[in-house]
Amino acid sequence: MSEDAGSGSNSLQGRGLDSGCRQPFASTSRNGAVPEHQQRRLAGGQGRQRPLEAANEGGDGEEEESEEEPGQGSERAEPDGNHTDRRMLRHQYRQLINRVQQNREDMLSSKSNSLTDALQEANKLFSGVSQAREAALDAQFLVLASNLGKEKANELHSEMTVFDSPAFAEDLLTFMGLNRLEGEENDSDDESIASGFLPNNAWHKLGAEAERYFRRSPSFHYMLGSFKADPPVPRQRIERQKRKAGTEEKRAMPAQLKKMEESHQEATEKEVERILGLLQTYFKDDPNIPISFFDFVIDPSSFARTVENIFHVSFIIRDGFARIKLDQDKLPVIEPSHEEEGRENDQNAQVRNQAVISLSHQDWKDIVETFEITEPMIPPPGISQENES
Amino acid sequence: MAQKRRGKGPGPSQGEDPAGDEDYALTQSASQVRRNLERLSPAQVDQKVSELVQYLLVKDQKKIPIKRADILKNVIKDYRGVYSEIIKRAGRTLQQVFGLQLMEIDPKHHIYILVSILPRLEVDNLKQDDCTAKLGLLTVILSFLFMKGNAAKESAVWETLRRLRVDPGVRHEVFGDVKKLVTEEFVRQKYLEYNRIPHTDPPEFEFQWGARAAKETSKMQILRFVAKIQNKDPKAWSTQYTEAAAEEAAAGGLFQDISTPGDTGGASQGARRRTR
Repeated sequence: MSEDAGSGSNSLQGRGLDSGCRQPFASTSRNGAVPEHQQRRLAGGQGRQRPLEAANEGGDGEEEESEEEPGQGSERAEPDGNHTDRRMLRHQYRQLINRVQQNREDMLSSKSNSLTDALQEANKLFSGVSQAREAALDAQFLVLASNLGKEKANELHSEMTVFDSPAFAEDLLTFMGLNRLEGEENDSDDESIASGFLPNNAWHKLGAEAERYFRRSPSFHYMLGSFKADPPVPRQRIERQKRKAGTEEKRAMPAQLKKMEESHQEATEKEVERILGLLQTYFKDDPNIPISFFDFVIDPSSFARTVENIFHVSFIIRDGFARIKLDQDKLPVIEPSHEEEGRENDQNAQVRNQAVISLSHQDWKDIVETFEITEPMIPPPGISQENES
Repeated sequence: MAQKRRGKGPGPSQGEDPAGDEDYALTQSASQVRRNLERLSPAQVDQKVSELVQYLLVKDQKKIPIKRADILKNVIKDYRGVYSEIIKRAGRTLQQVFGLQLMEIDPKHHIYILVSILPRLEVDNLKQDDCTAKLGLLTVILSFLFMKGNAAKESAVWETLRRLRVDPGVRHEVFGDVKKLVTEEFVRQKYLEYNRIPHTDPPEFEFQWGARAAKETSKMQILRFVAKIQNKDPKAWSTQYTEAAAEEAAAGGLFQDISTPGDTGGASQGARRRTR
């Protein structure tokens, strides 16, 4: 930030800047207009070396040498080395810095000399500076003043060929097609915003003109999108054809769908009902002899159907339409339950047991052999479905 | 089957490129690059060049400058040893096929943009979209900045824009969040620079031209724009004209006056013209 410290030298009146050697102890020429001051400082500079050396021998920091200053007081503007004065000085510096910061606009105005005044004030303050701490504040002020000086110089520069930005704005609006309403008094002094109706494409119009002054690369987009071009094209054609024949087809489809839905959702239920019906039919013939479970469910020709049968029978058992028991030989038998005391009560009253039947392919084969099952008691569902559809 | 050459040092797939390795691979001498090139088949190198061309074109859509680090990570990968050759060829392809110039706008951080080298069509009814409108706004800002001495305080810029019914506090029907557009999007695209003014409290900012603006247009072009809008001769602003002419002269006449709308002296035929 201090790179601008030395730049604005010409525009700052009456103050030669020497950014290289800002040492309060050396005899720099700070203000050519005040030679007496300079001489005094020169003498003071030389005089100051003694207490410095003394302080260094003492090994203390600079702050501690205040007690040794009194001897040199006569040649320097600064009175005997007191914290109070230095504190006052720092306070004044800070005030000055604050003032400059607060009144920035005023400082920058080309009509005012306040920046120069501030500089001169700082110059005066500087005469009282002897320690690094105050010098640092002075340096801080210097940076601030230099930046302001640079800004001020910039403003001077552009004012040489005045650019009237309000007029530019007006011309822009005209170009963009502002439709100024007639009959409205336009006090451009009071209103910074022109009245009138700006069309929607105003900025586009301006942008189109602006494009001609740029070398922008056009935005690159794949013409057919980022994916391979082939699939989208056929899809569109199909869609069009579908739409045309759509109305007729739609009528046909629901009927088919319904049937399919029925068969999917209710297939299981239907199967279960069917099997229950079969079971009851069989039992009518032989009401007293329970049917062997295996005889009932096993399909000697298909293991899969056997498993399905067991699955469907389990529903029947769950709903209480049939029971499975073990007979004297510890083989499972199945019989429909006759009690009609309210199936629901049955389900609650009866002890419900759960069992897991595992049946491997090998088991199934063994059972078929052992029980000599040749025909399934539950006919496969395929046959009956064909009848339905 | 040509074998793929292994990259030097930890591969880019690690996600970060140790700066040392990146620079090492890239600062190889021309002869080293040539040797690396010989180890690869022409088809492999061509493939990489094509990939880079496509990558640059797509990355340029949003007009956000492309970083070399991204190029290395996403495209070059193991072919770092021939990076300079690949980028050279890609630049050539872009020039010859697309009429675009690959320019490095930041030699320190290695950031690239694409700029058109074709003359602009003097035709109406070119496609207009949001980008067009945004360019209009940007041009107003760039004009203001240049005519006011190449920099302006943010408050001054907004003051001018308010006259055009663009207010940072109000949602604009074309631009939406204008403040964000101007202070973020344009800055990210490097059209504008948005810097803090030192010693201001509360902090104030100033705008300047960005590196992309400097390449895609010029002071003279913007001066001509202003002149057109205000129906005056560019020389009416002597300081600015002098400055613009100086910039043109310094640029050495490369890519000058590609489009000189309203300029009766010598139409540009797409060939490079020296400055007058």
